[in-house]
Amino acid sequence: MQLFLQQLVNGIVLGATYGLVALGYTMVYGIVQLINFAHGEIYMLGGFGALFTYTVLLPAGTPTGVALVLMLLGGMVVSITAAVVMERFAYRPLRGAPRLAPLITALGVSIFLQELVRNFYTAKSPRPFPQLIDPTYQVQLGGGVTISLPKLVTVTAAVLGMVALSSFVRKSRTGRAMQATAQDPDTARLMGIDTDRIIVTAFVLGAALAAISGLSNGLQFGQVDPRMGALTGVKAFTAAVLGGIGNISGAVLGGFILGIVEVMATQYAPSPLSGGAWAQAWGFVVLILVLVFRPYGLLGERVAARA
Amino acid sequence: MHTPRIARVAVPIIIGALALSACGNKKENGSSGGNKTLTIGVVAPLSGDLSAVGNGIKNGVDLAIKQANAAKTIKGVTLVMDAQDDTAKADVGAQVAAKLVAESSVVGVVGPLNSSVAKSVAPVMAQADLALISPSNSGVDLTGRDALAAGKTQVRPYKSYFRVCATDDIQGPFGADYAVKDLGKKKIAIVHDKKAYGQGLATAFAAQAKKDGATVLPTETINPGDKDFSALITKLKSESPDYLFYGGEYPEASLITKQMKAAGLNIPLAGGDGVDAADYIKIAGSAANGDYATALGAPTDKLDSAKQFLADYKAAGYSDPADPYGAAAFDAANAIIKALAKSYGEGKSGQALRDEIVKEVQDSDFAGVTGQISFDQFGDTNNKVLTVYKVENGAFVPAKTDSFK
Amino acid sequence: MMRDRSPVSLLAIAGAAVQAVACFLPWSQFAGFPGEMLNSGYPGGARMYVLFLAVAGLAVLVLDPPRRAAAARAAGAWSLAVSLLTALLIGYAGGGLVNVGTGAWVAVGGAVALTVGAYLLDLGQDRPLTVWHLPDVPWRQPAEIVLTLGVAGLALWGFVVGLGIPDSTIANGDDHVILRAFSLNAITAGSEFLSFLLGIIGLFVIASRVGIVASVSAVTQRQRAALVVGASVVAIAFPFTQGGSPYGLRIAASIGVFAAAAVGLNIVVGLAGLLDLGYIAFFGVGAYFAAIYSGTSTSPIHTTLPFFLVIVLGALVAAVFGVVLGAPTLRLRGDYLAIVTLGFGEIFRISVNNFDGSSGPSLTNGPNGVSNIPDLKLPGGFSFGDNHSLFGVELPFQANYFFLEILLVAFVMFAFLRLAESRIGRAWVAIREDELAAAATGINTTRLKLLAFALGATLAGMAGTVDAHVVKVAAPDSFTFIESTLLLAAVILGGMGTVPGALLGASLVYLLPEKLRFLQDLRLMFFGLTLILIMRLRPEGIIASKRRQREFHETDATALDRAGALDPPPGAHA
Repeated sequence: MQLFLQQLVNGIVLGATYGLVALGYTMVYGIVQLINFAHGEIYMLGGFGALFTYTVLLPAGTPTGVALVLMLLGGMVVSITAAVVMERFAYRPLRGAPRLAPLITALGVSIFLQELVRNFYTAKSPRPFPQLIDPTYQVQLGGGVTISLPKLVTVTAAVLGMVALSSFVRKSRTGRAMQATAQDPDTARLMGIDTDRIIVTAFVLGAALAAISGLSNGLQFGQVDPRMGALTGVKAFTAAVLGGIGNISGAVLGGFILGIVEVMATQYAPSPLSGGAWAQAWGFVVLILVLVFRPYGLLGERVAARA
Repeated sequence: MHTPRIARVAVPIIIGALALSACGNKKENGSSGGNKTLTIGVVAPLSGDLSAVGNGIKNGVDLAIKQANAAKTIKGVTLVMDAQDDTAKADVGAQVAAKLVAESSVVGVVGPLNSSVAKSVAPVMAQADLALISPSNSGVDLTGRDALAAGKTQVRPYKSYFRVCATDDIQGPFGADYAVKDLGKKKIAIVHDKKAYGQGLATAFAAQAKKDGATVLPTETINPGDKDFSALITKLKSESPDYLFYGGEYPEASLITKQMKAAGLNIPLAGGDGVDAADYIKIAGSAANGDYATALGAPTDKLDSAKQFLADYKAAGYSDPADPYGAAAFDAANAIIKALAKSYGEGKSGQALRDEIVKEVQDSDFAGVTGQISFDQFGDTNNKVLTVYKVENGAFVPAKTDSFK
Repeated sequence: MMRDRSPVSLLAIAGAAVQAVACFLPWSQFAGFPGEMLNSGYPGGARMYVLFLAVAGLAVLVLDPPRRAAAARAAGAWSLAVSLLTALLIGYAGGGLVNVGTGAWVAVGGAVALTVGAYLLDLGQDRPLTVWHLPDVPWRQPAEIVLTLGVAGLALWGFVVGLGIPDSTIANGDDHVILRAFSLNAITAGSEFLSFLLGIIGLFVIASRVGIVASVSAVTQRQRAALVVGASVVAIAFPFTQGGSPYGLRIAASIGVFAAAAVGLNIVVGLAGLLDLGYIAFFGVGAYFAAIYSGTSTSPIHTTLPFFLVIVLGALVAAVFGVVLGAPTLRLRGDYLAIVTLGFGEIFRISVNNFDGSSGPSLTNGPNGVSNIPDLKLPGGFSFGDNHSLFGVELPFQANYFFLEILLVAFVMFAFLRLAESRIGRAWVAIREDELAAAATGINTTRLKLLAFALGATLAGMAGTVDAHVVKVAAPDSFTFIESTLLLAAVILGGMGTVPGALLGASLVYLLPEKLRFLQDLRLMFFGLTLILIMRLRPEGIIASKRRQREFHETDATALDRAGALDPPPGAHA
């Protein structure tokens, strides 16, 4: 039983990372129907931004709490800048174009950013990231099940992020404007909503959450590398689709489910289909099964197709 | 209108006439300063995630060539390097191999890095009887050693293929013997990254460990690129092993050892030469203390030639590190250079020169920076000296050096 | 003829002439730079391409075609870029600008004069673009046919020249690495190809501004039969141009299978509008099928099947996979489809990586893949692995595969064209435009979508079976997501919905990384950048179907501009 619960905790932690990144995918898709393939790179840039802040900008001896806050801000600055530039110069000009054009552009941006960071920032190996939160300190959850402190931080961040975003979208003016734009951009514009600004806001929020995830990921593992966005991005997007793209709680739910499936498959899948070698495949299998029975994802709603 | 029609006819004709004059513009085999130029080829991943390792190989060859040219090792010949990027893919490897074969000034090739790529490159080289020496391929089937495990006689598949490194079926059992006989480990967990090198090494280790009498847990796999190994570690922890052998490269190994120790599974992680890298300790930090890695050859600080090589490499100012395979590539290049020195003096050229070089490489016997360089009749190195390194106080320290029997 | 004798115009003409002459002078004072720049007389290396651009500029200025100033500006800009870049690289390679020969500086000076003069010319004086036709005389038809054949020949010539340009690293001298990525030695070695590329693009821009491109493509559209004949002759002639060297043929053989797969993808993405991000998996199915049954010792299954059976069965197995992929995706919207196909591609790759007996059934030999695939042998003793002589020319064995692939590509193209112009093709286009409306008109969308997947998969599977024998290995690393992206890029870049587009795209995507070796580690970065730029500037691809062009530029100023609608009427003042 302890084994099962421990693996469950592992799955939830993994899912928290996916969930935070998935929120960005789902928000952007909900408003502009664009799969931002480069969102994984925004997450990666958030992690690198935090690293850069720590290694270059902060003087030695900064107290941990202050350092963390500044690193978070640094990471957000980088990821938000990237997202805004991306939106303005790569996606906005293609807004009326057939579906394929922004998709290919997004792929191009993703590849470009990965290679840019790989060639010009790092010494071509994973960059060590300061583990300011002690990863060896284990919090006892009862029954022998433990979770390390940075992982607890990750999960908390994911849940808080989801709650904050949810209430923002539901209660604030901008949030309601976002909902309106998602439902019908033309009418929203007629109502006086600046849809361009709303779209930028969606990108910004997604980038901010991704930066949080990037920082927490760096703290958890003690390294960031240029490829971390590619791997996590696809899985996070899978999570968003699984939960129902356009739906905020769906993104986080999908993230948790995907994380748990991956971990449980490693432990419990019938041999020889178990183990890390098959974990990723299982994630996709679950996605396909869900989509067969619920084509709009678990919590997704049928949205009228845009002409 | 008159003008457009004339323009339409005249302009293409002018351009076409000039173009036809360009036909037949072939690249000539250059000679510089009266010397003949001969080329040593390199096949390695020069771009992509393995570019640092591939560039290390390229730089090792480059250093050997520079030194040979400066010392005028071969009279009347200037050596140049032609480095081709195989992007660690088998099909690209075959393509660049064909390119090198077609270039008549190429007399020998160093590479490739990956055993999987070698499967495509070696046949092309063998067909052209062009010497190919790998600094790092550990796959057993490249020299027919897989027949030995099945109890059959060894047959050499590629007559011009050689390697200066240890094969999995030597390195794996060496590590296993050390773990079971020297360290007395009884219950060993085996993990690999499901790539050709890692799986080959881990399987060989596991087989030997079982033979030596240890309990070997069912093999677990991970994905290269993964960072979160908590699922794996939780699973292993429930089995309580006292030793973990990892077949694969250091990026994943360093994370596994770090997370393992943090989760309370305080056992040593052991690996092959893929783990024997300075970055392993850099990333794992203090968690690496107590871990092991095996590598070919005697420790470098015992050999003066190795120390000299590292100093020369640093002085040359290459941007990528020499390890893990720069030194082996240096030796491989020198094997070709020495063979060329012997063959060139006999006045051969073209295909006859290549054939002669293969013969001379086979008869190589000199002291390189990784040990004595000579090859058995299957292309494997006779240098079966291996060293186990232990991480102590943040550095790899040699724990045992022995010749594998 | 030349109506404009203003000083600005004369300046430009003088610049172009001077530049042309300079190409026959030495550009360097030391030996060894690509193109033998030390020698005067023959314009070797980059000088040839500067010469082309200068002559083109001269012709445009003197012969006064429509859009003269615009074309002259292109000539100036591109020739300046090439000559200046070459001069600087010569300077770097020689260890100082002092070592650059006079010819280079004269050429740069001429280019500057040409560019300045051209930019000072008044664009408003340009006559608008016209598409030229030959007059309606009896010899019009044969003339157009000859022109079409000429275009095919030009394409072959361009390809052969480009392929033959050396790009290997010069290994001498110390290297300077800028920003940890740009190796100046590597760029110097690749400078001739870079000049070739810039030269070709520049010539294309000039030709399109003057209207040659539009006119010629109108002619080739009309003379479809001649184009097909020309293309076939050119394809068959290619191996004879290689002088017995296997290198170019090896590349051509790889491009052939890649192009066949691209045309297959064109059916799925281009016609039916189904975004498939895991298409390489079908290719992989064919490749593995051929590999496993080829009789190699590394295959876990020790049965050998004759190749004709393999190609048919491999295609069928791939088709089955296509249907298996298609079935669960029928109800999914476009973007969901993308992620599911990506998932299938990954599942395929993970599966073949794991089917080695320990993590799965022993089928594909795991991460090592199935290697040492033997050459094809036809009954009667003809082995694809032997060199053969034809018409007295020694052809390396890769030519055998190349000829086989000509048949394959011809078949695939034929299949595509017949489908595209049939009821099925039109139904696919209808589904692509608006699935709901299509279903409302009675189209069985389920069946047609499955058909698209199945047919696309079949063609990819066929290409895969041939590829296994060309490359001699089938390994999981060849079937990654990035490979699917490259195929997609080939289709998109070349032009969706057109067959020559898919061929061109496949050639470019395969050839450019090969020849732009000097970019080394930055290759993928530039690939990403290229995708972004293409989507921004010409999303319908290089050779686009008219329909696509209209789709992408519905409210675009550029389309109207190209049609001449934005030019001021003749005689009006700006």
